[in-house]
Amino acid sequence: MSTLEELTALSRNPVNPAVNEWKAEGKKVVGFLCTYMPEEILYAADILPVRLRAPDCRETPLADVHMSHLTCTFMRSCLQFFLEDKFTFLDGLVFTNSCDVVRRLYDNLREIRPSDFQFLHFITVPHKVSEDLVIWYKDELNEFAGSIEKAFRVEVTEARLREAIGVYNETRGLLRELYELRKSESPPISGAETLSVVLAGSPLPKDRYNQMLRKLLDELRQREGISNYRARLMIAGSGGCDNPDYLGVMEELGGLVVTDSLCFGSRYFWEPVDTEGDLMLNLARSYLKRPSCPRMVENVGERGDFVKQMVRDFKVDGVVFQRIRYCDLWGGQLLYTKKDLKESGIPLLSLEREYMMRDVGQLRTRVQAFLEKIER
Amino acid sequence: MEEKRSTLGQVIDCLALYNAAVVGMRPEDNIGLANVLQLLDGCFSEAYRAKEEGRPLAWINFGIPSEIFWAMDIVPVVVDVLAGLVAPTLLGSIAMRYIDIAQEHVPEYICGNNKVLMGAILSGEISAPDVFVHPANPCDSNLATYSVIAEHSNFPYFCVDMPYFKNERGIQYVANELKRLITFLEEKTNRKLDFDRLRQAMEYSNLAHEYFLKTAALREAVPCPYSSIDVWAEYPALLCMAGRPELVDYFKKRYEMTKEKVDKGEGGLTTGKEKFRVVWIYGAPAFDILLFLWLENEYGAVAVGNMNSNFVMKPVEDISDYDKIMMGLAKKTMLMPMTRECGGPWEDWLNPTIDLLRRYKADLAVFGGNTACKATWAIIKMVKDKIHDELGIPTLILEMDLFDPRIASSDSIKEQFAKFFETVLQR
Repeated sequence: MSTLEELTALSRNPVNPAVNEWKAEGKKVVGFLCTYMPEEILYAADILPVRLRAPDCRETPLADVHMSHLTCTFMRSCLQFFLEDKFTFLDGLVFTNSCDVVRRLYDNLREIRPSDFQFLHFITVPHKVSEDLVIWYKDELNEFAGSIEKAFRVEVTEARLREAIGVYNETRGLLRELYELRKSESPPISGAETLSVVLAGSPLPKDRYNQMLRKLLDELRQREGISNYRARLMIAGSGGCDNPDYLGVMEELGGLVVTDSLCFGSRYFWEPVDTEGDLMLNLARSYLKRPSCPRMVENVGERGDFVKQMVRDFKVDGVVFQRIRYCDLWGGQLLYTKKDLKESGIPLLSLEREYMMRDVGQLRTRVQAFLEKIER
Repeated sequence: MEEKRSTLGQVIDCLALYNAAVVGMRPEDNIGLANVLQLLDGCFSEAYRAKEEGRPLAWINFGIPSEIFWAMDIVPVVVDVLAGLVAPTLLGSIAMRYIDIAQEHVPEYICGNNKVLMGAILSGEISAPDVFVHPANPCDSNLATYSVIAEHSNFPYFCVDMPYFKNERGIQYVANELKRLITFLEEKTNRKLDFDRLRQAMEYSNLAHEYFLKTAALREAVPCPYSSIDVWAEYPALLCMAGRPELVDYFKKRYEMTKEKVDKGEGGLTTGKEKFRVVWIYGAPAFDILLFLWLENEYGAVAVGNMNSNFVMKPVEDISDYDKIMMGLAKKTMLMPMTRECGGPWEDWLNPTIDLLRRYKADLAVFGGNTACKATWAIIKMVKDKIHDELGIPTLILEMDLFDPRIASSDSIKEQFAKFFETVLQR
């Protein structure tokens, strides 16, 4: 089995063998939902951070009792998985004020499953970036580290935190190398495969993941590139875009997804964290200043600039801007994105979707029409 | 060719029409509304004239303390009040036209309140403000659209960020944000904040608030000394006019009138009898205020309280220095109705709601569920269950857009009330 096949298989299941092995050693696992939560702090405490998602969730009857149909299907799917006991491997959960429905998942779980978790913590992430707020966020992170130490009787030492940041920076660097390969005229990896690789990393201890990424990069350098595509695509937009099959539909039609602006993609790992000086402050600064989600209010133009830079660097022919229905954050951003890309002469396909793979026929039709418009 | 009427001009027209249409129907029951409309007319007329008088104009979102703006001689337009005033179908619903324009650019599930402003901008009917200020709460729709609108249309804006928890550390966070806001306003408008003027504005604000709280306590009486519409009407005045002496005059007068009614055992309805006491625990259709008259006439159901009128926070107690005022305003900002309910843990909605229902001796709770308010729809089951468990009263859940009758029309809402009264509440 190639490393790519191995990683792809790992990405399909929220509970992979690595988690089970970790648990078998008597070690703890803490779940989270949003990339504004610095995983390094958990890793430094020898706790496995696992970003939660609900792959292959097809319906949400249990969650629908608690969250109305006006709640996005990503969060309803996650609640469904909680209610189906698919996250029983978790020893704790950490939430952030990422968006309205993530906050409300926290509320629902506290009410519905009050005794399920040994550890439940909420971090306020500022919605703006300024030095004062970076310091405020640093205090939040220190409080978070303190609560982990207390709950799990562990210590988050400076040395362990430095080591953790180093390991995570290596992951970031390796994923950047993977993306570099996609800049080529004949990239050795598709968009769907790349998404699988990134997703596989979430429930893996990052030192182990880094080994696999190094091996993968060696294999990809030997792999024949993909050249029979009609257009190079970039995918951007909502959280919850974690289904490689969604990108697969676009690629079956001849589009090749060569880059993204996704929190399950580039935005997760794009910038390293400084390892000199006050480490908690570095984490706070880095996480607030990374390529942003629209939850950050003063970065509207920067988000546009990030997309346009990606378009230039990866020679993108068109941007697919997808968002999950009822995601206000990305829905609001659409006003700016449309204008910004139009003024820059970048073709845009705006798609609304559910978390589950539905309406594939409609997706195919929309993508087909877009490809006809932009193909080389 | 006839010149297009500006949005602010249309708001002023709406205020006049409102006065004729609603107050004119039952003037004796709507004394509060008549006075509030006058206050709002004064406020929006100032905004309408601001540019020609050389005064800076600010758009502010509810939750942002208007006291600061009045103290700096910057005319605030509360954009949510603007949206509410142009929403009624009775007045031709300018809002629907703006919503349609906005929906060419953003999805329909963005809040109607935000879309009204967006549509007004995109239509070219509203001129740009000197500054636009909004809080990070209560919802993603606000957060996402206002910054994008400002960036898209290239006018200066400031977001007052708010943390999740409303504890002392959180209040300090917001107080610091308000200080940064003042620096921003000074830079963008060339107006300096004069401390004596701020303290004067706070004195007016506190006095008005104290009369409001005393009147709100009187409204707990059975029968309720207010009509349903009057209960609703005061919210926009509290948002727009905090810090102005006119608001003190209004609430002082209202307190005295209400006390007299309560002392005499009189209700707010001059026709019919109060049979059901209704508390609206979230929104209500801004597009049809006459629904309240219908409920009173058909069922004797008086809206004795609602979330928006639940200004239970204390006035800013200590106004002796700048820091203390900022802390007080920060607390007020965080506890502003809807900001309080939607922007933190669900208990921040539940607890004031239970208290409101209990104080006003409610027979039923109505959840006017704005479809865009995902933060409430994701927990309404828990809130409804707790209301039932703790107070034994039912909650009617209505799905609607507060600004757009095309999601749920007045007739369909009435139909749901009719079924509810038939099956759940007949006595």
